[in-house]
Amino acid sequence: MAATVTMIALAASACGSDTTSGGSNSGGDADPKTLTVWQMGAGSPEQTKFLDGVEEEFKKKHPGTDVVVKYIPWPQVATTFQKAASGGEGPDVTEVGNTDVQSHIEQGNLADISDKLKAWDEGKDLNTGALANDQADGKTYAVPWYGGVRGVWYRKDWFTELGITPPKTWDELRAAAKKIQDAKGVPGIAAPSDQTNAILSFVWANGGDVAVKEGGKWVGKLDQPAAREAIDFYAGLVAKDKVAPDKYVGKNELQGPQQDFALGTLGMYIDGSWALPQMQKVKDDLANWGTFPIPGKSGGTAPVFSGGSDLAVWKSSKAQGVAFDYITVLNSKKNAQAFADTLKFLPQFTDVLKSSKYTDDPLMSAFAAASAGGVKFTPTSKGWAEFEQAKKVIPNTVKEIMQGKSAEDELKKANEQANTLLNAA
Amino acid sequence: MTHTVAAPHRPPGRVPTGTKARRRRPSFGPYLLIAPTLVVIAALMFWPILQIGTMSVQKIGNRELRGEPAQNVGLDNYRAIAGDELFWTSLKHTMLFVVAAVTLTVVVGTLIGLLLNSLGKRMSATVSAGVMIAWATPPVTAAIIFTWLFGTTGGLANWILEQLPDWLVGGNWTDYNWFGSPLPTYIVLTICVVWQSFPFVAVSILAGLRGVPSELYEAARVDGAGPWRTFWSITFPLLRPIFLVVLVLSVIWDFKVFTQLFIMSGLANRDAFNLSMYAYSEAFGSLNPKLGVGSAIATVLTLILLAVTAVYVRIMVRQGEVA
Repeated sequence: MAATVTMIALAASACGSDTTSGGSNSGGDADPKTLTVWQMGAGSPEQTKFLDGVEEEFKKKHPGTDVVVKYIPWPQVATTFQKAASGGEGPDVTEVGNTDVQSHIEQGNLADISDKLKAWDEGKDLNTGALANDQADGKTYAVPWYGGVRGVWYRKDWFTELGITPPKTWDELRAAAKKIQDAKGVPGIAAPSDQTNAILSFVWANGGDVAVKEGGKWVGKLDQPAAREAIDFYAGLVAKDKVAPDKYVGKNELQGPQQDFALGTLGMYIDGSWALPQMQKVKDDLANWGTFPIPGKSGGTAPVFSGGSDLAVWKSSKAQGVAFDYITVLNSKKNAQAFADTLKFLPQFTDVLKSSKYTDDPLMSAFAAASAGGVKFTPTSKGWAEFEQAKKVIPNTVKEIMQGKSAEDELKKANEQANTLLNAA
Repeated sequence: MTHTVAAPHRPPGRVPTGTKARRRRPSFGPYLLIAPTLVVIAALMFWPILQIGTMSVQKIGNRELRGEPAQNVGLDNYRAIAGDELFWTSLKHTMLFVVAAVTLTVVVGTLIGLLLNSLGKRMSATVSAGVMIAWATPPVTAAIIFTWLFGTTGGLANWILEQLPDWLVGGNWTDYNWFGSPLPTYIVLTICVVWQSFPFVAVSILAGLRGVPSELYEAARVDGAGPWRTFWSITFPLLRPIFLVVLVLSVIWDFKVFTQLFIMSGLANRDAFNLSMYAYSEAFGSLNPKLGVGSAIATVLTLILLAVTAVYVRIMVRQGEVA
């Protein structure tokens, strides 16, 4: 019943918007022959199977449309979108990394789906924080699909053996790492320099930030004491306390920490809930792995960045109404939860997140608790992609500090870069 | 009275080579024949170079990619680069790397070429096959293999170095981070690039050696010259053109190395950048491309390489051999 009502509402709104704008479709959306859907990442048989199921469900509403799914590996994402934006072939529906949405909106790549969203029944339960990231000037350009947060993976058996409880403060974290290192002869924790989103949790936990929008301009806050203390702590794990090894300097969490933790030569490391399938491929030691939220400085949990993907309709798509219909099927509460489960992410519906399914899960509860504790987003500036991915300002800064340079000087330079890049026209 | 002079007797079939100057008509035939090739080369090579030169004085971002006309910013892009400390560091890294890599490539390649020349048929085929595999390996594959070899999780290099006695190589090799600072990174990069490039030099030298008459070597042996003397007195002078070609090509290729460095240390290690990584991180790598700056860096790189090529051409012309 609800589905039929939704369908009629959607069809009505699609017809309505077409006649008022004299749109490109003749009298409402006739089923296009194909609907192109772009998915990020290398894809997997499980994902393909899931999308086939979604296509079947979608075909109930649009029997004449074939869904063509194209996988775009993450390293090629930027250039693929560049090509599509500069006149090449674009998709109808696309997955977009949530940190890239604002850049896409600025470039005018995404269609305005505010009306379609209002007409979507389940849409009102979408996580408001995540949805805000997809909006600009009061209009919505994408909907959140799944998100993941980071926590600390640790060796449950070693903690029990050495009498350590999951740390709740930074000092406890440092002490736990030292204890593991002394007793087991392996590094206590991994602190790779190329992990912006984990480092930011520490900065946010201390009340700092990368940049804050003041009067329409982004003002860098990396040179403030709050940010400096946090980065001193993180870099200090390698440089001063020596509880994190320097073999991960210049690397990200997937270039050593993940493999070493799975193999049992590392006590703790920071990664997201999605890391579990990857770690199990290295060595299935699930019984000995546990998670706890990144601790706040003197208690509580650190705010975490919710990295994930959103779904959007491409501006130059010729079947925008149908494209949004596909999104409502792909991102229905049922499908979103099923899909998020396969990847070990979290769906973006608030009521689903608060359900017992997540609070009772031994591994996922830490991540759900972290999300509940506070999800923060990186600056929604279109220059953020360059700051984080092309220039990797924070990883390079942290690396210099870990190798002995003055934190004050390096953070000042990083702050200047933040001011330039985040305010770039 | 008219005096008839007999026409000079010409044996049949002899081409007249008289002192009468031959009237030369410029023949367009040859030029017409090479014209298609020239057009294609001009289109594929000169046009992009001109475009890059033009773009280097403009500001080009996403809006311009979608059709807005690009605005001319004069030499701003060049000034931005010249003022950037990282540009000079990258240039320094590139130059030093080229010197080291080219020297090693040419030396190793020459030695292997000499080896292949003196081996018997079967052994020569075996060594050739091994050498070809190194050459045929795609740069990405080679980079991934070397990253693993010199990595800390299961890396072979660190394991071997740890097994060797401390007085020889020092201690603490197990967790040594090869990609944490520029010098070790470039050592690994040099090994990887030399491994991939020496086969070309070896094959070229081998081809050249086949053309050296063996009497020269016999004469040298009779005169009592050792291998070192033989090489510098006979082989090197005769193979000089090949060495020059190989040298210039190696310099040009090693200047442009990108793939291996991107995989080994990547964008998270700016202190180890070379010129191509610097260009990439300025121009691409994010959703807001800055193709004007990227073009400026590419232009600088092209000018440096053109200078190298000019030196080569000058040496060749000076030797009286047209390239």
